[in-house]
Formats: sequence, C-alpha cells, structure tokens
Amino acid sequence: MSIAEANNHGGRPTGPAAPLPAGVAHSNAQAPASAVAGRSAFQPGRSTSAPTPAGAGRKRRSVHREGLEAGKRSTRTILWILLAASLILYGFPFLYLLFTSFKTPIDTIAVPPTILPKEWTLQNYANALGRSGVPASFINSIQTAVISTLLSLVLSVPAAYGITRYKTRSGRIFIMAALVTRMVPPVAIGIPLASMMASVGLADTPIALSIAHTTISLPLSIWLMSSFFEAVPKDLEEAATVDGCSRLGALWRVVIPVVSGGIAVTAIFAFLASWNEFLFALLMTAIRSQTTPVVIANFQTQFGLDWGSMTALAAVYSIPVILLTLLLQRKIVAGMTLGAVKG
Amino acid sequence: MTPAALFLAVFVAYPLFRLISDSFFKISPLVGGPREFVGLDNYVRAFTSPDFISAGWRTFAYTLTVVTLEFALGLGMALLFTTLGRKSQVWRTLFLYPLMIAPIVAGLLWKFLMIDNFGLLGTLLHQAGILQDPNQIGWLSNPDIVLFSVAVPDIWLTTSFMCLVLFAGLQNIPGDLIEAARLDGARAPSLLFRIILPLLRPVIAVALVVRGIDAARAFDTILIQTNGGPQSASETMSLLVYRTMIRFGDPGLASAMGTIYLLAMLAIAFVAVTTIWRPGKDT
Repeated sequence: MSIAEANNHGGRPTGPAAPLPAGVAHSNAQAPASAVAGRSAFQPGRSTSAPTPAGAGRKRRSVHREGLEAGKRSTRTILWILLAASLILYGFPFLYLLFTSFKTPIDTIAVPPTILPKEWTLQNYANALGRSGVPASFINSIQTAVISTLLSLVLSVPAAYGITRYKTRSGRIFIMAALVTRMVPPVAIGIPLASMMASVGLADTPIALSIAHTTISLPLSIWLMSSFFEAVPKDLEEAATVDGCSRLGALWRVVIPVVSGGIAVTAIFAFLASWNEFLFALLMTAIRSQTTPVVIANFQTQFGLDWGSMTALAAVYSIPVILLTLLLQRKIVAGMTLGAVKG
Repeated sequence: MTPAALFLAVFVAYPLFRLISDSFFKISPLVGGPREFVGLDNYVRAFTSPDFISAGWRTFAYTLTVVTLEFALGLGMALLFTTLGRKSQVWRTLFLYPLMIAPIVAGLLWKFLMIDNFGLLGTLLHQAGILQDPNQIGWLSNPDIVLFSVAVPDIWLTTSFMCLVLFAGLQNIPGDLIEAARLDGARAPSLLFRIILPLLRPVIAVALVVRGIDAARAFDTILIQTNGGPQSASETMSLLVYRTMIRFGDPGLASAMGTIYLLAMLAIAFVAVTTIWRPGKDT
C-alpha cells in the first residue's frame, strides 16, 4: 500500500521514479504492489516512472557511440589522459596562488620558488585582513554589487518583458542599442560618468559605482531576460487573463514565477560583473567607497611588493564566488549558453 | 522598457555625448578649468601621434592573439568534452572556475608566475631542462614578447567561456549527420572541417565577436601586470586613453582617442558580424 500512496503524491516529477537507480528502473517492478491499490493509483505511477527506463536505455547505448562520442576504448583512454593533463594545467595557477598564500612572507619571494609552502602559516591572511581599509573594502564591494544587481534586475525584467511581448520596431532597435553599449570602452565613459556623479553629490559612494556597474550589466541582463521570456508560452499568460487576472496580475503571478530561474541567472551575472569590475572602481572611488579589487591593485604600489598579503587577499576575494558559482553551475551554464547560442 | 532606455540614455549615451563633445575642446585638467574650442585639432594630434598609432596596432595584435588562441584551445576542449560524452560532466564544471575570478586577480597571479627572479614559470622550465637559466626569458620585461605575455591571463580566464559556448553548439549538431558522414568514410579531419565547423558557424561568429570586443577593451590584466611597459611595449588603446586622461591630464586628446577607438570597434564588429555570420546565407 505504501507504494500506491507514494504514487498518489506522485504528480510531481520528483515522485517515486526518481530515487531508483537508472539501470533497475523498470515500471514493471512496481506493478505488482500498486496493482493492489486499483487503477486510479496505478495510472500516475506509470506516468511518472515511464520516462526513466527510456532514459536509462539511451544512456546505456551512448556509451558505445552517439554522434561525436569516441567509440574505441583505446581512443577514449588517450582522450581521458589528455583531459586530465589539460585540467591540471588549467587548475594549477589558482592552486599555486592558494599555496603561496599559506607560505611565510619571506618564502613567497624565495629564489628559486617552491610550489608547496615549506611551512604552512596563516600569517599572510592576518597581515592582509588586518590592514586598514581592507575589511571596509569588502563591505563596499558587497554593497556595490548588491545595489547594482537589484538595479539591473528592476530595469531589465520589465524591459525584456516589454520587448518580447510587444514585438515592436522600437524594441528591436533597443536591443541593438544595448548590444552597441557593450562595445563602449569603459575607459571612454568612466571620466564623464565620474564628473556627472560628482555634480549631483554622489562622488565616491557605493551608489555612484553601482550605477556605473549597471551600465555594464544591464545590456547583458536585458539580453538574457529576453531569451528567458521568449521561452514562456504566450498561452500561459492568456489563460491567466481569461481566468480573470489583470495583465499586470498575470505577469506577477504567472510569468514571473515561471522565469524565476532565469532571474536568478541574470542576478548572478550582474553580481559577478560588479564584484570583479576594476576600471570604474579605480576611476570613481577614492577612500570611502573603494572596492576590494582596487585595494588589491594598490598593494603593489602602496606597500612595495607584498606578494604574500596580496595572494591571501586575492584568495579570500575569489573563493566565495567560485564556491557559489560551482554550487549554482547548472543555472549559470544555462544562462551563458542561452545568451550566446540563441543571441 | 522606458526606464531601462532612460537609464542607458542618461548613464551611457550622455557620457558618450560628453566624450564626443570634449574631443573638440582643449581642456585644462583642473576641475572647472578653461575650455577652448579647437575643432578637429585633437583628432589631428591623435592621428599624428606615434603613441596612438602603435597603441592601435598593439590592440589589434593583442586581440588577434587572444581570440585565436582562445578559439583554438576552447574548440579543442569542447571537442574533448563532446567525444568523452556524459561522463566528463563534472570536469566540465571544474573547467569553468576561472570565469569567476576577477581579471585583476588573474593578472596578479600570472604576473607572479612570470615575474623575473622568483617567478615559477621560468624555474619550472629550467628544472625541466628547457631553459638554461630561469631568467632566460624575461616574460614581462622583454619588450619583444611582453604583449603576448600579458595576453596569457586573459586567455586563461576566458577559454572556458569559448569552450562552453562551442560545447553547447556541438550538442546541437544532429548525431545522425555525423553517423552518416562516418558511414561515407569521412575521417576525423574532414569531419571537423567539412561538417562540424560549417555547422557551428553562427555560434563561432557570436563567440568570436563577443570575445573580440572584450579583448579589445582589455585593461585590468595589462595594467596590473606591466602598466603598459616596458617602454610602452604593452600599452594598448585602453591604457593609452587612460594615461592620456589621468597622467598627462589632457582630457580633450583622450576624448578624441576614445572616440576613434569606439568608432573603430563598431566598424570592425560590424564587418566581423556580416562576413563571418552571414545570417540567412548558410541557414
């Protein structure tokens, strides 16, 4: 009876079929148990577990060869070795940064350099984080990135919706204009932008910098959001309007929840764009609103060549976003490829 | 749509307008200093300045290097991941990590690897027996090769992007087509050049244009590694505009340079899109 009950909840795709290992998943295996529960319970059970065997079958066949996949075992082994080699080469620089950050300050510039620290220490971290202005710069970076992300979403979601729903000439021109914006070298508009901010009393504030960062992320956000809205069937919205929703209500209650994954992707991109940006931050901030990239760059001139602290700060600044994005990688991959392949 | 358009108009179009209008003035670097209308004088000065011309060529060479290598490596990795199929998914994810690293950090990191004396790269090559002396190659101090050295972090950072986009494109190629070609006796090279690359054309075009634009605007990685040196051997357009504006205090000339730079990029992007992409011709 327990399986039948599970099947009754099984309207969701994550129902009873999901936990079964792909190779064993035969809908027949469930049949004897759920047959007791009668036909009504049997039906949903079939519909949820039916796709699994098909998927498993395809997976098994693909081991042999599907499209471009390599067939021969020897070829595959060579390819795996190639992959491992390139991944090691590719990952090594950042690992070296991490190792260096744990060296003693003297060892960081030892000749000849070693890959692993001779003794592991947190001294560089203490030095870097204890330096005046460093903790404040983290707060500035977070503030700027959050404001810029919100601004970019508030502006891009309605704009993208308008462009995809009412396909007008001005919409198409706007999309092109947004693309052209991408080509503007930041160095060209940084100075005029900074003097604009100064004239409205926003000089050296996170708000001014986040506005500057939004000029970078907004065009991309609009492109991304447009492709997400494009994927929402128009019928869905029309059905909601027929059911008595206002246009705005349909947007808010039906369309927005459907594209919420897309909004998350857009938010991550806007956040990353601001978090890692350097040139605007260099031009538009002085002491009060300096972000961490500027502080990292300043380590070079201000304090001579303190490589140890620099690597420690760089590690502290990069690791949270690397972890965050690895956790959310599915969504990010979807976003990147959507933007480029469909665009 | 209106608020976003308004935002871009105020914060992008207006500064651009300021940039273009500034380029016709001789401006004192002091705030509120005198402005004097000089017509096209700044443009004449830009085009007759050897710094400007060579920065233009360097930007071109830099962009070409970055995009070519990234494309070759990215395509190689994408093909590798595709031929290995589903099992390589975890590794695909790990391959993405440089995308999240700030360019400034990447620049620093590679400077640290390539710097004279205690840079690891020279030492490793020395230990491997390729170089006689760890300092034999002055990656960042030899004016002849510095432009290529400063391109390395950029390539390292964004090969992942190229790989990702090309990989997605490869997934859209129908397997039957490859199968059919194989049955007809096509070998790997002709499979690649006759079938895969032509089919990937639109994807390649987008990826190349997007990356080309970014590479031509490169600033962070170069500034942190060499600040344009030695002897301006790695000074690209962004750095020249920046230096003219900030160090030399000549906003008028810098604006003229910025305007030419922007127009050149628009022109090249337009040509690239129409020649490589050729929408409607292939599909």
